[in-house]
Amino acid sequence: MSSDPNSDQNLDYNSGKTSVVDMHDAVKRERVLMPAGKEQMGMLAMVLCAMILICGGIVLGNSNGFKDSIYAHDGYVPEPRPGEGGDAAAEDNSPWIDKWMKGGKKVYQNCKLCHQDSGMGAPGQYPPLAGSEWVDGGTKRVGAILINGINGPFTVAGQSYNQLMPAWSALNDEKLAQVATYIRRTYGALPEGDDGVVTAEMMKAAREEFGGKGIWDEAGLLAIPEDAMLEGAKVDLLTGEPVQ
Amino acid sequence: MSDLNATSEDILERAEIDKSVRFPVMLFFTSAAVWLFVATALGFLSSLKLAVPTMFQDMPIFGYGRLFPAHMNALVYGWAMQAGMGVILWIMVRLTRVGLGRLQSTCVIVAGHVWNFAVGLGTFGIIFGAGRSLPWLDFPAWLWPLLGASYLLITIWVIPMYRVRRAGGVYVSELFIIGAAVWFPWIFITANVFIGNGAAPVMAAGTNAWFISNLIYFWFAPVSLAVAYYIVPKIAGRPIYSYPLAKMAFWALAILAGWTGFQRFMGGPFPAWMPAISGAASVFILIAVIATATNLLMTLRGRSRLWEFSPSLRFTMFGMFLLAMYGVLAGLNAYFPVGKYLQFSHFLVGLDTLAVYGFFSMTIFGAMYFIVPRITGCEWVSGGMIRWHFWLSAYGILTVVLVMLVGGIAQGGNMADYATRFGLSVENSQGYVIGRILAWLLIGISNLWFVYQMGLMFIGRGRKTEGPTLIHVEPGSVATSEAAAGLTSEEVV
Repeated sequence: MSSDPNSDQNLDYNSGKTSVVDMHDAVKRERVLMPAGKEQMGMLAMVLCAMILICGGIVLGNSNGFKDSIYAHDGYVPEPRPGEGGDAAAEDNSPWIDKWMKGGKKVYQNCKLCHQDSGMGAPGQYPPLAGSEWVDGGTKRVGAILINGINGPFTVAGQSYNQLMPAWSALNDEKLAQVATYIRRTYGALPEGDDGVVTAEMMKAAREEFGGKGIWDEAGLLAIPEDAMLEGAKVDLLTGEPVQ
Repeated sequence: MSDLNATSEDILERAEIDKSVRFPVMLFFTSAAVWLFVATALGFLSSLKLAVPTMFQDMPIFGYGRLFPAHMNALVYGWAMQAGMGVILWIMVRLTRVGLGRLQSTCVIVAGHVWNFAVGLGTFGIIFGAGRSLPWLDFPAWLWPLLGASYLLITIWVIPMYRVRRAGGVYVSELFIIGAAVWFPWIFITANVFIGNGAAPVMAAGTNAWFISNLIYFWFAPVSLAVAYYIVPKIAGRPIYSYPLAKMAFWALAILAGWTGFQRFMGGPFPAWMPAISGAASVFILIAVIATATNLLMTLRGRSRLWEFSPSLRFTMFGMFLLAMYGVLAGLNAYFPVGKYLQFSHFLVGLDTLAVYGFFSMTIFGAMYFIVPRITGCEWVSGGMIRWHFWLSAYGILTVVLVMLVGGIAQGGNMADYATRFGLSVENSQGYVIGRILAWLLIGISNLWFVYQMGLMFIGRGRKTEGPTLIHVEPGSVATSEAAAGLTSEEVV
C-alpha cells in the first residue's frame, strides 16, 4: 500500500487506447478524479481536536481508577432513592423523633463551644449539662434559660460557676425545642414517664411566659418549681402528631 | 497539469467497467429501495402504536414489540446495508479499474438474492414472534450464518480487486471501503457467536450495545465517508484538499470505533471502566469528524453553490452534516452527567435513526443519484422530484432527531425523579410521539418520489435525452452543475 498521494496516477480512467465512443452522456460528462492534495491541518481544527481530547479525558475520568471491583460512577445516580443513601431523602421515612433529634444536634453546634460534645462542660469554667439538676428536672427551667440566658454566680451539680450564658431567643421556637429535646434526651436523667421531648408549641409557651423578662439570676430561676413542665400536648414519637 | 475532462478512451473504459457491475448494483439498489419503503411503513406503524396502543390490540403481529424491531432490522439490513454494498461494489470497480468478471458477478447476484431472502424471512420471523429481542440482531437465531455468508460472498471481491488494481496508488475511499468490508464480518460474527453461546446475560446486553455502536462506526461511517470522498471531488472538479487529513479520519475510526458501545449501559452492572472507556472513545472519535469536515469544506471552498444544483452533492454534504451531528450528540450522550438522563429514553431511538436514516442514508442517496444514471443509461426523470425527496427527507430526519432529543430529556428527567410515578414519564412523552409519527409520514412521502424514480430507472423508462437532471433547472438544459451554478471549471495542478 502506498501512502504517497502523488502515486495516485490515472485514477478513475485517465488513460487507455483511443476508440470510437458512443456512450451514455452521464459517463461522458463525468470528471476525472485527481490525486488528493497534501495540505496539513489548520490551526482551528487543531484546537478543536485538543478540546475533544480534553472532553474525552473527562469522560475517561468516570472509570474511577480502572479497577474491576469498582462499579459505581461518581455522580451517576440522578436522584437519591428515598431511604437508601442521600441524607436529605433518608429523613423522609425515618421516625419523627430521629429528625427532631438531628435538628437538635445541628442547633447544639452553638452550645458545644462551652458545654462540649460530651455535655460535660469545662470543669470550673463552664457547667456540665449531663448530671445537671437544671436539665434533669421539668422543662420549664430549661425553656426559661434558653429564652433569657443566665448570669452567674449559680450552682450546678454542687459546684459554683460565675459565668454568663447568653439568651438564645433569636432562634425560632422549633430550633429551641429541638435543642432542648436533644440535650434532655442525650445528657439528662429524665424523670419517670418523661420522654424528654420539648415541642415547638411548648417552647412557644415558654417564650410567651418569659420573653422580655431579662437575663436570669439564680434566685429568679429557683423561683420556678423544679418539676414544672411547659404547657403543650405530648406527641407521638413516630409521627410527631399530638396524642391525647 | 491534467485535463479535467476525460478522454474518449477513458469514457469507453468507464462504460465497460460500469456495465460489468450493472446487474448486481441495480439488484441491490432496487431491492434496497423496496426495503426502505417497507421499513418506513413499519416505522410509521410502530410510532402510531406508541400513540394509540389500543389499535389492533388483539393482534399480536401488530404489537409494538414486533413492529419496532421489524422496522429497525428491515431498515438496517434490508435498506442500509444492501444499498451500502451496492455502492461499495461500484466505487471499488471504478477506483481499481478492475471490472467484475462474469463468475464473480453471478456469485454476487446469487448472494444478493440470498441476502434479500434472509432479510425477508427474518422480518416475517420477527412479525410472527420468532424474533430474538436483541436490538439490531432481532432476526431468528438460525438466520445469521446465512446473512453472514452472503455478505462475505458479496463484499469479498473488493479485496482481490484492491490487490490487482490497475490504478496505481491508494485513493482515500478505497481505504474506507476495505475497512468496512472486513470490519463487518468481525463484529457480526463476534456478536452472534458470543451472545448465542451462553454469554452471561449482562455481557450479552453489553455486547449487543457494542455491536450497534460498531455497526455505525465500523460500517455506516466508513461507507458514507468513502462516498463523500468520491462524490465531492468528482462534482467539485477538484482534488481532495488533504490526503493526510483523510488518513487521519480513517485511522481514528479504525483505532477508536471498536472501543465504543458500552456507554449505552453507563451505571449498569459493569466495572466502571468499561462504560468510561467506551464513552471516551466515542468522544475521541470526533477527531475523525473534524478531519472530514475540514477536508470536505476546503475541497468545496468557493464552489459551494454547486450543492444547490447537484443532487448527489446536496445529499452527500447533508449526510456529512448529519454525521457531524451524530458524532456530537453521541459524544454528549457519552458524558455521564448528561447521558444518565438520556439513556433508556426516546433519545436513543432518535440517535439510532440519525445514524441509519440520517447520515448513512443521505450519503447513500447522494451516491445513488450519481451512480444509477451511469449504469442504466438514462437520466432521472425530474429534478423537482429529487428536490421533494431531499426536503421531505431532511425535515423528516431533523424532526425525528429534535423531537426525540427533547422528548428524551423530558422523559429521562421524569424517570430519574423518584417522586414522579413511572406512568407520568410515558404520558408526558405522548406529545413527542406525535412528532415522531409526523416525521415518519414525511419520510414515507419523500421515499415515494425516490422509489417511483428508481423504478422508472430500473425498467429503463428514465429520461433518454442528454444532460444531467439537476435541481432548480430544466432537465438537460445545462451540461453540468457548474454551468448551472455559474462557475467555470478550474484547472488544477
